[in-house]
Amino acid sequence: MATETVIVARGLRKVYVLGGGVEVHALRGLDLEVRRGEYAAIMGPSGSGKSTLLQILGCLDAPTDGSYRLAGDEVADLDEAALAGIRNRRIGFVFQSYNLLPRATAVDNVALPLLYRGVPPRERRALALDALERVGLADRVHHRPNELSGGQRQRVAIARALATEPDILLADEPTGNLDSTTGQEILALFDALHREGRTILIVTHEQDVAEHCERIIRIFDGQVAASEVVAARRRPDAGVAGC
Amino acid sequence: MLIENLKTALEALYGNRLRTLLTLLGVVIGVFAVTTTVSLGQIATAGITGEIQAFGAQSLFVIPESSHPEGVPFTDADIDALSRLPIEILRQRSTRVWANAGEERVRLNVVGTTANAPRIDRSIELDRGRFFDERDEQAAAQVIVLSADAAEEFFGSGPALGRELMLETSGGNRSFYTVIGVKKRVGGALGAFANDVSGDVPLESLYRDVSGVPRDRYDFLPITIALDRDAGAIERQVRAILDRRRDPESYQVQSIEGALSLFNTITVILQALLGGIGAISLVVGGIGILNIMLVSVTERTREIGLRKALGAQPRTILQQFLIEAVVLTVIGGVLGVLLSIAVLWTVVALVPFLDVFVLDPWIIALALFVSVATGVAFGVWPARRAAALSPIEALRYE
Repeated sequence: MATETVIVARGLRKVYVLGGGVEVHALRGLDLEVRRGEYAAIMGPSGSGKSTLLQILGCLDAPTDGSYRLAGDEVADLDEAALAGIRNRRIGFVFQSYNLLPRATAVDNVALPLLYRGVPPRERRALALDALERVGLADRVHHRPNELSGGQRQRVAIARALATEPDILLADEPTGNLDSTTGQEILALFDALHREGRTILIVTHEQDVAEHCERIIRIFDGQVAASEVVAARRRPDAGVAGC
Repeated sequence: MLIENLKTALEALYGNRLRTLLTLLGVVIGVFAVTTTVSLGQIATAGITGEIQAFGAQSLFVIPESSHPEGVPFTDADIDALSRLPIEILRQRSTRVWANAGEERVRLNVVGTTANAPRIDRSIELDRGRFFDERDEQAAAQVIVLSADAAEEFFGSGPALGRELMLETSGGNRSFYTVIGVKKRVGGALGAFANDVSGDVPLESLYRDVSGVPRDRYDFLPITIALDRDAGAIERQVRAILDRRRDPESYQVQSIEGALSLFNTITVILQALLGGIGAISLVVGGIGILNIMLVSVTERTREIGLRKALGAQPRTILQQFLIEAVVLTVIGGVLGVLLSIAVLWTVVALVPFLDVFVLDPWIIALALFVSVATGVAFGVWPARRAAALSPIEALRYE
């Protein structure tokens, strides 16, 4: 099967220097490949480096060392402006704590990355409304975050990540702040997005969340410890599993 | 993008109205403090100098030196000797008597003077009626021109012209004087000294009707010099004439110019002081603006991180914060100036001896420049610092 590899990471290292010169090695030479259209979970204990990995893959942070190629481009070679463009066009990032602008309505929050892409106002609004409809929030577009439930806020955040039609969708513990029922709804949304052919990486520490994916990448001590294929169960399109 | 960003900035300002209002308040107070303190100083200075100049610069006062054994009052012979000069000398004596009008019995300062007094003493201005003339003077007529305060003491708000006052003197003499004029209240800073309960009568009438006012003794001589004359030369001539008549150490010649130069010194000191206060309020106002901008932008580090995570270019973020800072400081600055103008107008309207409205455009420009510059510098600098962080660092900021 000739599938394109969208993420190629080689020897990624990330060292945080804390106060007093203490160094924390979050990633220790990590290698990872992700194919286009893949639906993968990144699991690992606290402090294993899984969130750091996702942030580097999302270009929100830079590795201390190593190579990261996103759709063929070496990220380390890009300047600040080009990185902003990558974050804007190729990556949709979903945070555990949603990170919505508290004083902007749902539609304005979703339209924000489109504003930074230079989409004209009318089109921006149409795209944002479309994205909100896809996450099932067509009736909440003019609500502010504090007028929405946790699950609804996470849907707004997902709509914002989707609105730009990114190459990859990265989610850091997207159900971490939600009760299990709401969490299942959000996961069902990711499942549906996967069926549309999107590349999705989810960081989680919950096995049942991870089992929604095709593959579980286990991180331990800053390196990939294992990569497991999840047995086809609930998903009708589970046959695509590789690796 | 600029228009979009202007919209974003205005939405951010409108979205957090409380923060916007507090920041505005900081700028308003900064600009207001500077403009108002400096302008109040200038208004006070202008008020005082205006008053002094209104009294006429071309005047001299000759007074005996009381500590000198020959420092006795001047005589008519002295005045006659000085009259060769192109000057006018006011002969004036005064004493206190009891005066009655109907039920009112008031201690009155009776001033005996000559008909040319209003020409020499520029603080004399008639509100109603007339001053006495040479005929009244020659006839030693029983007529009196009351000060505004005296007219009010005797007659309240009722008519004063044509009414009679009975003057009692220590000898038990009683004489009746008709009110022929009421003077205006002396305005301005010098009014506090010039206004009193007094009445002007012809000098000869005073000598005749009021006991205890000996002739031929003048405690001081007010002299007026025509404006086209050299006051300095006249002053030297006055001294030359008097020196022949008495000991040069036994009297003083004071000129308004002398008083004026003293006032000018005071004014310079006053302005330096106010400039200092203005500079301090400028610094304090600037620090206030710096503080509120720094805090309000720093607390938005997470917002900056989020915008970067969504793909905002650093310069787009800086532009947004620059627009916010400019809008805030310009609106705040204009409000501060308007508030200052309102307060200064009120002060000028309410305080009697501050009657000149001064607002130096340079002060406004300086106050606005400093507030806009500090506002922009400390609105953009922390934003720039935050935008230089990686998005995840900025998002983690507490």
